[in-house]
Amino acid sequence: MTELRALQAWMQSALLRPETVRDPDDRIAPGAHLGGAECLAIYQRSYALRLLACMREQFPALTHALGVDVFNDFTREYLRECPAQAWTLHDLGRRFPEYLEQTRPDADAPEPWIDFVIELARFERRIFVIFDAPGHEGAPYATAGTPDARLKLQPCFDLATYRFPVARYYHAVKDKADPPIPAPEQCWIALVRKDYFVRTIALTPLQHAFLEVLHLGADIDAALSRIAELRGIPVEDTRANWLAEGSPRSAWLEAGFFIDA
Amino acid sequence: MTGIGDLPKLGLGLGLRHQHFAHILNAWPEIDWFEAISENFMDSGGRPRHVIRRIADRYPVVLHGVSMSIGSTDPLNLDYLAKLRALADEVQPQWVSDHLCWTGVLGLNSHDLLPLPLTEETLAHVTARVHKVQEVLDRPLILENPSTYLTFKHSDVSETDFLRRLSQATDCGLLLDVNNVYVSAFNAGTDPVDYIADFPCDRVVQMHLAGHQNNGTHIIDTHDRPVLPAVWELFRLAWAGTGGASTLLEWDGNVPDFETCHAEVLKARSYMQGAFDPSQLASLPGTVGAEVSNPVDFIAPGVMASVAP
Repeated sequence: MTELRALQAWMQSALLRPETVRDPDDRIAPGAHLGGAECLAIYQRSYALRLLACMREQFPALTHALGVDVFNDFTREYLRECPAQAWTLHDLGRRFPEYLEQTRPDADAPEPWIDFVIELARFERRIFVIFDAPGHEGAPYATAGTPDARLKLQPCFDLATYRFPVARYYHAVKDKADPPIPAPEQCWIALVRKDYFVRTIALTPLQHAFLEVLHLGADIDAALSRIAELRGIPVEDTRANWLAEGSPRSAWLEAGFFIDA
Repeated sequence: MTGIGDLPKLGLGLGLRHQHFAHILNAWPEIDWFEAISENFMDSGGRPRHVIRRIADRYPVVLHGVSMSIGSTDPLNLDYLAKLRALADEVQPQWVSDHLCWTGVLGLNSHDLLPLPLTEETLAHVTARVHKVQEVLDRPLILENPSTYLTFKHSDVSETDFLRRLSQATDCGLLLDVNNVYVSAFNAGTDPVDYIADFPCDRVVQMHLAGHQNNGTHIIDTHDRPVLPAVWELFRLAWAGTGGASTLLEWDGNVPDFETCHAEVLKARSYMQGAFDPSQLASLPGTVGAEVSNPVDFIAPGVMASVAP
């Protein structure tokens, strides 16, 4: 190992795990007013403050739910176990929901509020990804006149099931309210981006099942067949409902769910 | 490859910050140019990429990176360089810059601009990497003097000499950040005027201005307030020596509205002439607060605002 590489490994370790630093004054010259260790401490403090601030920006609703101090405590441990690897800070929170799940302190007797924390982290990460993922802006969306056979979900679309009303909580925080930790409630949520705005759309279980089929790459016919099967009715009845006035078709078209493939 | 002597003098510009996106796209304000943080746009498939495309259609743009890690002993990240090249091909920046620093090693990234020991070993290492980067990007790299809070005992090359020899060996250009000069000199107990006098100003393509926070025992490069008088005085001293280099204000914390930022950088006009006043070099103590060295604009704060009701 070259001298430069050894020094970089030493300094990086000093930032990530300050308690491991030995004899910094052997390597670092004193500053004008500070000793070598105190100069190093500026970088150590900045490392934590910068990344904690970025994580709070990526998980604003979770920060609200936990309070800044508790959020920072969780995040410090996360950054120790999962230090940043990518050149972009966008990647910083990628492993956070999984980390929270794996390190939950109540694994033997799960507590609802910790379930909520993990679900909210999942939801916020998904919003964050959709915000900057490749989308369909600049190209035409499907319209009411587009035949069903050509309807395809647009690329900036996400579908998930949550055990808590995370979208409602998120919007309450966004609206500067102070929502309490909610009770468990199964929710089916679609995220879709159109004109660079992300929309959160609450779904019924059947709507979720319908969109899930499309999300796997199948066509509208296959999705209608799935719903007919679930409801135990003829597929033609399902198709008639889908095309009827007041069905989700027009609202979803308006929201930008579909492109004309 | 274009030489640095062929690069234009852009005038007075501003760092492109997400807080100003809407104003710029609505008002198309008269301003000479923008500098964008490369990493905020390289991976973007959403609004940030859309915004940089539109702005690059109307204004000269420069790409300024914070994660090239030119001094790291990890291999150069060729995926990073490929994405940077792709962004540059798309927005056609006037040039691409980064910092004389390293950001991580062993596959990790601290997201800070960490100081290098300035030695012959480091110079040889960075020189080889600048050659490679310029080959991939097919354009000269412009490197900035970072603000530093520590120096290594075994450093035996001055930063000015390091940058002079690096630029001569690679034909790279230099970005002279006079706020960083002031910050680093205060922290190390050296003379910023001597630094400017010894700086290879003939290699300077661009200058940076920013505000800082004086904590008494050290100064932090906070980019969160107007430029301080001492830094303006260093700008006056250096600007003429560079032959009128393109000049840009960075404002990353407590970002005020666009017009306030623009008015701040336009103050540079009054420092482009007149005699150097060394009495202005005394630093003004500020309010001690949370210290984040080398702040960079991060695009994520715009996300919640981009979620429809």
